Amino acid sequence: MTQDLSKQSNRLLEGGRIDRAKPLTFTYNGKQYKGFEGDTLASALLANGVDIVGRSFKYSRPRGIVAAGAEEPNAIMQIGSTEATQIPNVRATQQSLYAGLVASSTNGWPNVDMDLMGLVGKVGGKMMPPGFYYKTFMYPKSMWETYESYIRKAAGLGRAPKENDPDIYDKMNQHCDLLIVGAGPAGLMAALTAARAGARVIIADEQNEFGGSLLSSKETLNGKPAAEWVKDVVQELSGFDDVLMLPNSQVNGYHDHNFLTIQQHCTDQFADRAPNGQIAQRLHRVRAKWVILATGAHERPLVYGNNDIPGCMVANAVSTYINRYGVAPGKDLVLMTSNDNAYRAALDWHDAGRRVVAIVDSRKNPKGTFVEAARERGISILVGSGVIEAHGNKRVTGVSIAPLNDAGDAVVGPIVKMAADTVATSGGWSPVIHLSCHTGSRPVWNDDILGFTPGKTYQKQLTAGAINGAFATKEALSEGASAALDALSNLGLAKSDIELPETEAIVEGKAMALFHLPHTKPTSKAPKQFVDYQNDVTAAGIELACREGFESIEHVKRYTAMGFGTDQGKLGNINGMAIAAKMLKQTIPQTGTTIFRPNYTPVTFGAIAGRDCGELFDPKRYTAMHAWHVERGAKFEDVGQWKRAWYYPKGNETMQEALNRECLATRESVGILDASTLGKIDIQGKDAREFLGRVYTNAWAKLPVGKCRYGLMCGEDGMVFDDGVTSCLAENHFLMTTTTGGAARVLSWLEIYHQTEWPELEVYFTSVTDHWSTMTISGPNSRKLLEKLTDYDVSKENMAFMDWKPMTVAGVPARVFRISFTGELSFEINVQANYGMHVWKALFEQGEEFNLTPYGTETMHILRAEKGFIIAGQDTDGSVHPFDLGMSWAVSMQKPFSFIGKRGMQREDCVRADRKQLVGLKTLDPNVVLPEGAQGVLDPKAPIPMPMVGHVTSSYWSANLKRSVAMGFVKGGLDKMGEKVFYPLADGRVIEAEICSPVFLDPKGERQHV
Amino acid sequence: MSDVKVEAVELAPVDKLVTKQLPAAEIVGESPLHHADLISVAEHGPQEGGVHFHERKLMGLLTLRCLPSAEQQEVIKALLGVALPMQPLTSVTADDSPIGKVSVRWVSPDEWLIIVAGEQAFELETRFFEQLTGHYSLVNISGGTTIFDVSGRHVVDMLKKSTPVDLHGSEFPVGKVVSTVFAKSGAMICRVAEDQFELVVRRSFADYLWLWIQDASREYGLVVHH
Repeated sequence: MTQDLSKQSNRLLEGGRIDRAKPLTFTYNGKQYKGFEGDTLASALLANGVDIVGRSFKYSRPRGIVAAGAEEPNAIMQIGSTEATQIPNVRATQQSLYAGLVASSTNGWPNVDMDLMGLVGKVGGKMMPPGFYYKTFMYPKSMWETYESYIRKAAGLGRAPKENDPDIYDKMNQHCDLLIVGAGPAGLMAALTAARAGARVIIADEQNEFGGSLLSSKETLNGKPAAEWVKDVVQELSGFDDVLMLPNSQVNGYHDHNFLTIQQHCTDQFADRAPNGQIAQRLHRVRAKWVILATGAHERPLVYGNNDIPGCMVANAVSTYINRYGVAPGKDLVLMTSNDNAYRAALDWHDAGRRVVAIVDSRKNPKGTFVEAARERGISILVGSGVIEAHGNKRVTGVSIAPLNDAGDAVVGPIVKMAADTVATSGGWSPVIHLSCHTGSRPVWNDDILGFTPGKTYQKQLTAGAINGAFATKEALSEGASAALDALSNLGLAKSDIELPETEAIVEGKAMALFHLPHTKPTSKAPKQFVDYQNDVTAAGIELACREGFESIEHVKRYTAMGFGTDQGKLGNINGMAIAAKMLKQTIPQTGTTIFRPNYTPVTFGAIAGRDCGELFDPKRYTAMHAWHVERGAKFEDVGQWKRAWYYPKGNETMQEALNRECLATRESVGILDASTLGKIDIQGKDAREFLGRVYTNAWAKLPVGKCRYGLMCGEDGMVFDDGVTSCLAENHFLMTTTTGGAARVLSWLEIYHQTEWPELEVYFTSVTDHWSTMTISGPNSRKLLEKLTDYDVSKENMAFMDWKPMTVAGVPARVFRISFTGELSFEINVQANYGMHVWKALFEQGEEFNLTPYGTETMHILRAEKGFIIAGQDTDGSVHPFDLGMSWAVSMQKPFSFIGKRGMQREDCVRADRKQLVGLKTLDPNVVLPEGAQGVLDPKAPIPMPMVGHVTSSYWSANLKRSVAMGFVKGGLDKMGEKVFYPLADGRVIEAEICSPVFLDPKGERQHV
Repeated sequence: MSDVKVEAVELAPVDKLVTKQLPAAEIVGESPLHHADLISVAEHGPQEGGVHFHERKLMGLLTLRCLPSAEQQEVIKALLGVALPMQPLTSVTADDSPIGKVSVRWVSPDEWLIIVAGEQAFELETRFFEQLTGHYSLVNISGGTTIFDVSGRHVVDMLKKSTPVDLHGSEFPVGKVVSTVFAKSGAMICRVAEDQFELVVRRSFADYLWLWIQDASREYGLVVHH
């Protein structure tokens, strides 16, 4: 097969897990490139010889790809071919290549190769020493926004799309016996062991393929390439019904109670936009009985001068690019290492036909399988030495190598310069302990592996493989199997039959503790030695922090920004701690470590929002007559989750015109309101009456069957929180109504008091809010209208005010309550909700001669305000008791048993004479409507701040009274009838009002008694 | 409002009110999804898919609240034709009870949902009223409730998007019932067959839940039945 590799200068002629038959074209920073299916964006960029993928945060230095996984600090991309499909903060090492992928570097202004900031880079660097955030951003505070936009632009944080994301994201709840995080040798072995035992298993891995390190290793398992073993295991796992395999899935958070969140990329590794109907990303919310963390380890780069020049990489990444992607990211390699393991990078480089300039080993006498293999290949090994500096600008051109002392902290001989375009380094491996830390577990230092491993766990969590420092494949496999066996035993499941695959015999010599290479100059004068690439934290910066007195590693972190943001210290943390420890003359465990928080890598907002967006953002609750309101052109108002008809404009009516018409029609003839949303609670039991007496402020002992009564409900503090009418259906049977918004709270309130305080009372509560459709006809002609629809005698004589009667309305059995929230003759008709629409329509059929007018919540508010009726939640705010509302008539202090709120409303503070009390407010100019919320003062000429005496709670134009009506609180207002109160407004006007009774219309209540 | 004169009460002096709530059969009720016109959707929509949906509308649903004594349990068993499921999260059904087909679902330690044919609800209420003594409440909630029947090979996947409950067969066998969170609302979920569930939902939330189920089923294909 012929391959067009003309442009892919670093692509090897063979090898890798890419599909060379499937070339893909992609765009990076406006230029087109070619890669293959199976590439990541990072491997494809390296194949094409793209050295620079970003500019650094503070110093604007060119940066290249350093790693091959989630730990990559530099190649952070903006992905998306259209505005709507932009995704910021994508690691090129985790982004699968697809045809037509469009990526751009997020840092580099105006572009990465010719960077304007580069010209001021050094100045910028000086302007932003460590502690910049704290020294600069804290003061002046007003400048923060300016700084932030500048920093964001410069810091490579990407940008959000400006258009709506067309993709679908969703969430799924999962449950399992065992969640395995990581599908490397340990994770796969654990999954196989658990699956064969019949456990419910979920195994997730951030990569597009399972296998982890085995995919980029030349090791054999059972005498065959490791990748073949992986293939066999994956195939076997896929045969189990109860095994869920999630590739392309990052376990991002480990929360309390073994609840973990996994972000699965379902399609965004194949396409910019998910094919129609498919889910782009899915957030799995997993509740696992046990968890095995087999998250592996990240190789630590060494810290040396100019270690950020493109071409400087971690050793294992070099092997991965060669073995997994068929890409050798350079020609001439220098490997700098403190351990045997990293020798594999040089061996792979050599075997790929590229030149290994030298292996530089800080140890005096390296020995082991890989060392011998390097010697057999004739690779030059410089022992007891270190790469102390890289040379070059946009790409490494060479290195300075110097002999080191035994401790590796001083240069002890002459410098040798060598030409090379790639420097691979390894200071050993750092276990990936992030998820373990999410649970609050503090990691512990392990001297044998020179790294932190998970500490005491508070969760049902096991760990296996490299996360424990078991770096060798053989150990990882064995730990995976035994962790799974432990989990099975904890789960009470029988063990499975499992055999470990045979591994190669590999001997590795002891590694040396080396983090920060010395230079001939002191750290502060040496070329910059980077610890955290993403946040541009240098060894000199950490030393400065320590000199400035920051001794806690948590403070050093915040002072320098090491391990901040999306990086979470994956590559740099251990090196930084080692440098701080050395400065503070203590050990790394004494210095301690910062810990990590969710999320492990950035999560898109789409995945977090899931389907709770757009129409599904919040439930919309509808009554049985909703379709009629829609058809009639109603405007709707949100009341809790209910959509209530607000008003019904006709033609070109303004809102006020519609309200005027609705108000007048109701008081002159008859109006109708859909009141179905009122909370309704069926109360049964021989103690129902007693219970009502305890939760309402007024008396219920003598309410006869067939009667209704208004009640106020207060909290223990004596403050009103709900009100409504409760009717006596039978001796031991009541129907309570609540406010629309308070229904659920009131039901809980009743249940809580019944279950915890008065369980001896025989009473049950059942919500019937949705069961009954409620329509209120109100106005002088409401009786005439009702008479047309029922044979029942609804005359004043047979059905008095505050009576309820069962009758048939429009052929439907109904319960009709003669109660009124408008002060008019009113009938509240309740029918089984499936017949609500039938009765509603029948009322309109018969109501034409009376100009039956539908009105919404706004007219309801006006009509009740004309009568001075309160709305709990509008005229109350949790700080007013019944006496503040002038509703002493609704409180009975004489009841034999106390009631909730009785003591509260008698507290010293509650009986003050100057409490804010609800009164009517009559504006001097009848045409002026007070704004609700306006604050009243007694003396408008008082100096500012004026003493405020209370606010306006309800205020409307009353078409019936042809003037404004309002209610509000005034300190001591009930004793100030006839006095003046002033409302100075923001626009300079001062509205004068007279304190009056809140009952503006029909003070004797004659209209409702007809 | 306390100034109203008490008038002679014409209602019978009973301790509980039980009234017929359904009109004559010629007045047809509108279920909570009436507006969605499921008949047309069933006719013109897809006929194949991973999730199937059907509204079991206008059923008779009653909430029984009781801490039943042995004696009460006997009476209830005679009334329903099946014993009350006392084991939490379980349900029982019978096709040949004195009031026809009945399903009784445990809701909480002192609460059950009884499902019968729509026209049987009043009959059952009346019989309870006549025969069951002691402390209990039986409330007809038929108008405030509807039943979504969901099934199909992807029904569990759809439900996994909607509720945090573990639906695996080992944890959620046929007959199990839970009252729990469903999307941002709630539902009583009962497994009636391996790939079939009934969701009892409140009338006012029915439209939201119907939209949610359509959305959650989209990737599997949704078939509506009438």
